[in-house]
This record gives sequence, C-alpha cells and structure tokens, in this order.
Amino acid sequence: MTAIEGARRAPAVPAMPAAFESLFRREYARVVAIAHRIVRDVDEAEDVAQDVFVSFYKRHPGDAGYAPAWLHAAAAHTALNVIRSRSRRSRREESHGREVDRAVDPAESAERAETRHAVRAALTRMDERSASLLALRYSGLSYDEIAAALGLRKSSIGTFLSRAEDAFRKEVTR
Amino acid sequence: MIQPPTFDSPDAEIVRVDTERALEEMRRRIEREGMRPAAGTPGIVRMPVVSLWVKGLAAAASVVLVLTLLTVSGVAETILTIFEPKQVTAVAITPTDIQTAISDLRSFGTLTWSAQPNPYAVPDAQTAAKESGLAVRVAGTLPAGVTAAMAHWGVMPKTTATFTFSADTTRASAAKLGRTPPPMPANIDGSKLFITGGPAVVTIYGDETHGVPTGATGASAADALASLPHLVIAQGKAPVVQSDGVTVEQLQAYLLSQPGVTPGLAAEIKAIKDPSSTLPIPIPVNMATSKNVTVQGVQGVFVGDSTGLGSALIWEKDGIVYGVAGTLTESEIMAVANSLH
Repeated sequence: MTAIEGARRAPAVPAMPAAFESLFRREYARVVAIAHRIVRDVDEAEDVAQDVFVSFYKRHPGDAGYAPAWLHAAAAHTALNVIRSRSRRSRREESHGREVDRAVDPAESAERAETRHAVRAALTRMDERSASLLALRYSGLSYDEIAAALGLRKSSIGTFLSRAEDAFRKEVTR
Repeated sequence: MIQPPTFDSPDAEIVRVDTERALEEMRRRIEREGMRPAAGTPGIVRMPVVSLWVKGLAAAASVVLVLTLLTVSGVAETILTIFEPKQVTAVAITPTDIQTAISDLRSFGTLTWSAQPNPYAVPDAQTAAKESGLAVRVAGTLPAGVTAAMAHWGVMPKTTATFTFSADTTRASAAKLGRTPPPMPANIDGSKLFITGGPAVVTIYGDETHGVPTGATGASAADALASLPHLVIAQGKAPVVQSDGVTVEQLQAYLLSQPGVTPGLAAEIKAIKDPSSTLPIPIPVNMATSKNVTVQGVQGVFVGDSTGLGSALIWEKDGIVYGVAGTLTESEIMAVANSLH
C-alpha cells in the first residue's frame, strides 16, 4: 500500500511506529520465554505476549527507556493471571490436547503434562514476586534486568531468588 | 520414586518463536481493533508488579504534605524549620475538601524532587535497618492468621523536595476550575519550602503484590480490596518542612482563604494548638471515624473505616512516625502496636 492509498482510507488506523516495531523484534522472544516459564505452553505463552505488547502499545511510547523492564514484568504478571484464572481453563485444556498430539512418546507426553500441571499449581500458590523472579531468571534475564523489572535492588536478588527457589520446592512437593 | 519437578523441568526448554509472524499478527490486530499507539513522551511509570504499599505511601505522603502546608505557623526569617512534628492529631476532611484546589500542591506552584520517593523491597528486617539507618522495630505480637514468615520488607530512602510558590500557576489552575483565587501575597510568590520525608521502613504481612492494579491487565477495585494485606507496619522519620523566608502565618491564612476550603476545615486547622509540631492526620469523615488513644505511652490517633473492615493507628515517638494498619479489629491493632520493640 502506498502512502497515498493509505491516506485515502478514512478513518485510518495510524501505522505502527518504527520504535515499537524494533522494540517488538528485540523483545518478543524474551517476553514469550518469560510467559512460557509460567504457563508452560507455547501457544498460550504467545497469546500472553500479544496481550502484553498490545497493552504496552496503547499506553507507552515504543522508545521509552523503561520499555524492556515493563514488558518483562508484564509478561510474568499476565502469565500468572492466566494460570490463576478459571475462565481460561477450557482454552488451556484445548491447547494442552494439541501439545500432547505433537509429542511422539505418549508416556513422555503424559509425564510432561503432569509436570506442567504440578509447576503451574505450585506457581499459583506462591507469592507473585517469587514466581515472577523465577520466571525472569530462568528465561535468562540478568540481575540488572530483573532488578529493573521487579523494582528490587540488584544486591538483594540473590537472597530473594534462593527464597523463591525454596518456596517453589516446598509448593511443588506439597 | 518419581522426582518432583524442578522449575527448570524439560518442558520449559528454550522456546522457538517466529517473531516476524507474531509481528504480522500484531499489525492485523492493530488494524482490526483500530488501536492507536501511545503518543507523547514517556512519563513516570510503575511496573505492573509493583507493591500496593508504594501507591498507598505516595498517596498518603501527598495528603500529609498538603495538610502540613496548611498547618505551618511561626515566623520565618531565613531558612527555618517551620514544621517538625512531635505528635499527631486527627483533622476531619469532607469530600468537598478533598475535591478543592488545595488537594493538589501543584495548583500553587512547582514541586521539584531532589530525591524522589523510590521505595524498594529488601529481604528482611536486618537489611531494612541497615539500608534505612533506622532502629527498626518489630512486632512481638501478631494477630491470629498472621505469622512472621509472611513479612515482606520495604525501604523508602530519605526523600527531599523543594516547593516554589507561583502566583501565575495559582491563577492558571484556578482559571481551569472557573475560579478566581485571592491574590497571592508578594512575599509568598516565589518563596520556597524545603520538604524532607523518610527514610522509612514498611513491613507487609501477606502477599503485597497479588491483585495490584496493573497496566497490563487492569485488575478490578474488588481485586485490590480483596488483596489488601492483613497487616502493615510503617515506621519512618517524621517529615520536616523548612522555609526560605515566607511569613508562614500569612501562608496559612492565604491557603485557608482559597475558594472551596470549607469553614469547618479552616476552623479545625486553626484550632491545632501547636501547628509547627503537630502532624495532622486527614480523616475523610464519610469513610472513617477516629479517636485519640494511648499507644506506647504517647497519644495516637486510631482510625476505623466505616465498613468496619479495616483500621489504622498512627502515633509519633522520639521523632519517628509509626503506623499500623490492616483488616483487623481495634484490639488486634492496639496489641500489635503496643508490642513493637
């Protein structure tokens, strides 16, 4: 579509700003990875990522300095809301079905489904900061990035992280 | 025996995504839903996962700041401490008072932070004490259902701001409301107040992050209420206000003569016997009741909300302002407050 053709359409939806586009390219995979650590389902993680980027798009400029930190925190928060939410349960079970189909070994896929269920249940029972912290750390964020996303001092992250790991172990064996 | 899953279980292996396909999907959604990108420069932003108490603290601080300005008295010559509270008192405010121009300091000039309120979480009481420099007090008695293991600690470093009065700003903000303010006396216009708050330490028992309103998903007010922590204990250096020379009696008279300040509020403020050392605690009359109580051997203000669900207790001792609040009864709150050591 040329600029002139675009201008003829009314009322036009403004084009995606270049700053947002480049932010999306830079951060999409990480946002999905964080969400995936929590929802443990690729389709669902991608749904979460889309919601997070839409929410950012409407409220914040793409070149905001805080953009990555905001997206990382929002990815964990939104994913946690998803696993807590009952209304999404049916959708979740649908996508769970697809996941099982993809796996080759039925025993392995059943074990994976069980693990996913146990991990999600444990995360639901944990406090949000601890659950977010695990998701952020295990999706490869640095201490600096975690500090920015969760509003913590870098020096305390080690302590918070080891507590979160203890809490996870306790909840997952409950 | 089957091992319990670890957080790093194989099902969470690296996810491959097709970013270009996702970007196309995003474009289609923008088009379909007619979404407009956010315009303008980035503002101050709160992360989605942000503690409820950060918001509460900021809101409380701004109300206290305004009432502080209303109650300052004494005669300032050079840089002078005009407000350094040693005690607390309740001041009833009505919905009308809350809606008046005085509810926002920025209607009268410019507030410049030299050290913004920037609270952060710390792992425990020891770290809180070390980082704040305060002798942090902990509760010896906790109500049923609350345990020491549920404590989350936060530190707010010392915060300083300068407020500069401006007749132009006052006129402009009053004009927006269709009002004509009384003229600002020449010695107030351009004069400065230096405001210091904190450091402070906050302890929250419960999960302080659940259900917090978020930019990402927008939790409802009911969620926020349901997530109110059981118990919150706050302790911090009392705020101090200094002036660079404004005649502060005149300042008080000027602020209280603003259109919209109810005679009731003006009378209550003027009735404070020692305004330069009394921290006024605003009590919204339609939402809460208050009474004086004795706590830790000094006078404090007990506040109960009209629903009976929550209550709070505020007092000052040895230059530190304490607050205990929660979804608790008066006797439970009193027991916690008196057990702080």
